[in-house]
Amino acid sequence: MRDILYLAWRYLMRHRVLTVILVVAITLIVFLPVGLRVLVMQSEQELTTRAAATPLILGQKGSPLELALVTLYFAADTPPSLPYAECERVANDRLATAIPMHLRFRARQQPIIGTSLDYFDLRGLDVAEGRQLAVLGDCVVGATAARKLGVTVGDHVISSPENVFDIAGVYPLKMPVVGVLARNHTPDDDAVFVDLKTTWVIEGLGHGHQDMSRPEAAAGVLKREGSTVIANASVVQYNEITARNMDSFHFHGDLGVFPIQAVIAVPHDEKSSALLQGRYLGDEERVQVIRPLEVMTELLDTVLTVQTYVVTAVVIVGLATLATAILVIVLSLRLRRAEIATMNRIGGARTRVLAILTAEVVVVVGLGVLAAAGLTGLTAAYGSLIIKALILA
Amino acid sequence: MKIVWGILVVVLLAVGGCGDTEQEHSQTAKRTDGKLTVLTVNYPLAYFADRLGGEHVAASYPGPIDRDPAFWNPSADDVSAFQAADLVLLNGATYAKWVPKVTLPSSKLVNTSAELSDRYITVMDAETHAHGPGGEHAHAGTAFTTWLDLTMAMAQARAIRDAFTAARPAQAEFFAAQYKDLTRDLVDLDHRLTTLTSGQDDRPLVASHPVYQYFARRYDLNLEAVMWEPSEVPGGRQWEELRRLLEQHPAEWMIWEGEPAGESVSRLETLGVQSLVVDPCATPPATGDFLDVMEANVAALAAAFQD
Repeated sequence: MRDILYLAWRYLMRHRVLTVILVVAITLIVFLPVGLRVLVMQSEQELTTRAAATPLILGQKGSPLELALVTLYFAADTPPSLPYAECERVANDRLATAIPMHLRFRARQQPIIGTSLDYFDLRGLDVAEGRQLAVLGDCVVGATAARKLGVTVGDHVISSPENVFDIAGVYPLKMPVVGVLARNHTPDDDAVFVDLKTTWVIEGLGHGHQDMSRPEAAAGVLKREGSTVIANASVVQYNEITARNMDSFHFHGDLGVFPIQAVIAVPHDEKSSALLQGRYLGDEERVQVIRPLEVMTELLDTVLTVQTYVVTAVVIVGLATLATAILVIVLSLRLRRAEIATMNRIGGARTRVLAILTAEVVVVVGLGVLAAAGLTGLTAAYGSLIIKALILA
Repeated sequence: MKIVWGILVVVLLAVGGCGDTEQEHSQTAKRTDGKLTVLTVNYPLAYFADRLGGEHVAASYPGPIDRDPAFWNPSADDVSAFQAADLVLLNGATYAKWVPKVTLPSSKLVNTSAELSDRYITVMDAETHAHGPGGEHAHAGTAFTTWLDLTMAMAQARAIRDAFTAARPAQAEFFAAQYKDLTRDLVDLDHRLTTLTSGQDDRPLVASHPVYQYFARRYDLNLEAVMWEPSEVPGGRQWEELRRLLEQHPAEWMIWEGEPAGESVSRLETLGVQSLVVDPCATPPATGDFLDVMEANVAALAAAFQD
């Protein structure tokens, strides 16, 4: 047996170019449809698992897909805002747990998510190091965000300005990292989480500044009218919330009109879910309720339709390639008639010669399948990254 | 065909190895079989919760007893304790100034005076300021000692009962019975106070601190407030302000939040002003409970109105 394998191996080594071409052809024939299938399966899992764990999303009327993608994956453009009162409306109806989502800001490339603690329960996010959000200005970071931002507990994250040319726009807020979340292999790993009110501070809707009634603030006072102090634009505002200046932070106006981008609603039961969705069916209603699973399933249906066409094309090309490979082998056998005759003349039995030729084909096919398996493994391992790059980016 | 695909993919994945799979957790309510853990932002709410919940509820006010809960600032550990509770009872009416500045799970928060918002009293002399392009804005305050109006206290207790019933529907009847029991006590106190103060709205009174707005409104008290602390003897400027106030508002009694310093009492007497204590009982009393303190308040007021 060893002599058969030896002779087969020597033949393949002698014709390396032909062997490599055949192995690559076999690899592609096997890998392309299977790898594509794996990618689609991962897409299904990636897109539906998180969507299935998110019963309902409320947002301003517009693209349901965009609302789902930004709320579930923090991808896509920031959708139009809706007032926080919509979140309170859901909570007050007592049909569902309402989780506000503020999705507008970033710290470098990492999304800053302003939400409530209920979000951590919904996603099963645990703090691996440090503690949970406690006071205004605190942030906890996902495992990947911590690595990319190079921060750990005790460091600070600074929110990024939305537009470098808008010098009167949103001020960066310096936020202490009080916790790092355990990795859970979801987009939450990439995010920086803060209390919803902290995002309003970043947005400039809440702020802290020096006490205008104190003598040291005199330079910032434009005029006084009874108990009313009119300050000028030079008033010192704090860009970091600390224990010392915490008391000076305040919000102006009704919190109910402050912006959020989405509300995740977790109904208590099916009946509550139906009732809640029914309340947003009116034509006058400016808020839409989406079922993320349905939205993502629609997206997947589109992907699967495309996949069917692609797989059909790949299979046809694969069959053609396979036919070509068989032709190459058959032709090479005809070219090797003299070689085969020589082996017979020097005493090689017909069965052993046939075994050598079979071994050559088996080794080529085996190498091709192994290479395809390796590529499939890589696809499975890094498929989620490919999906994010192709679909969510 | 699907079976063939499945086998092919499984075999290739088995050879090639699989990557990590997403581990998505679904929400699971962390309910224990034990008592409902309830933390409150002041003692009166803890008392109501304790009376209503009985053996089914472990209610407490976790703040220090020597600090006014309205202005106490909890540490991160204190906030963690609130986060871990099953329910957090808020007083509402801007009480506990720290609440908007911390992270608490909104699904656990119960604003016990939410349904009373149309009865809130706005503090009119709050400071206003303006700066930047946003223009003028006011930090208008809201009086927050709501429970001193015992009808409001009953409404707050009702909100607590409803929250308990929603959290533990199986004990609904128990909570209802306890509520009935508690309101009987509160109605009795309210009745005695209204009887005591009936027809006395022309009698001027002075409060040592502006915390009696709801109390004064409910029981028709002609009350003006200064900004004194019971444990501190007021300075010259404060005495002068009081003298000016007494010229306009000739009160014969000053209502204190706590036992006043002896020197303050003596100097007030020289001005013809007697002292009595109406303790809002925002923190746990050294002895007795909320009802005992309210009984003492009624007794103290009786001395003032029956002289």
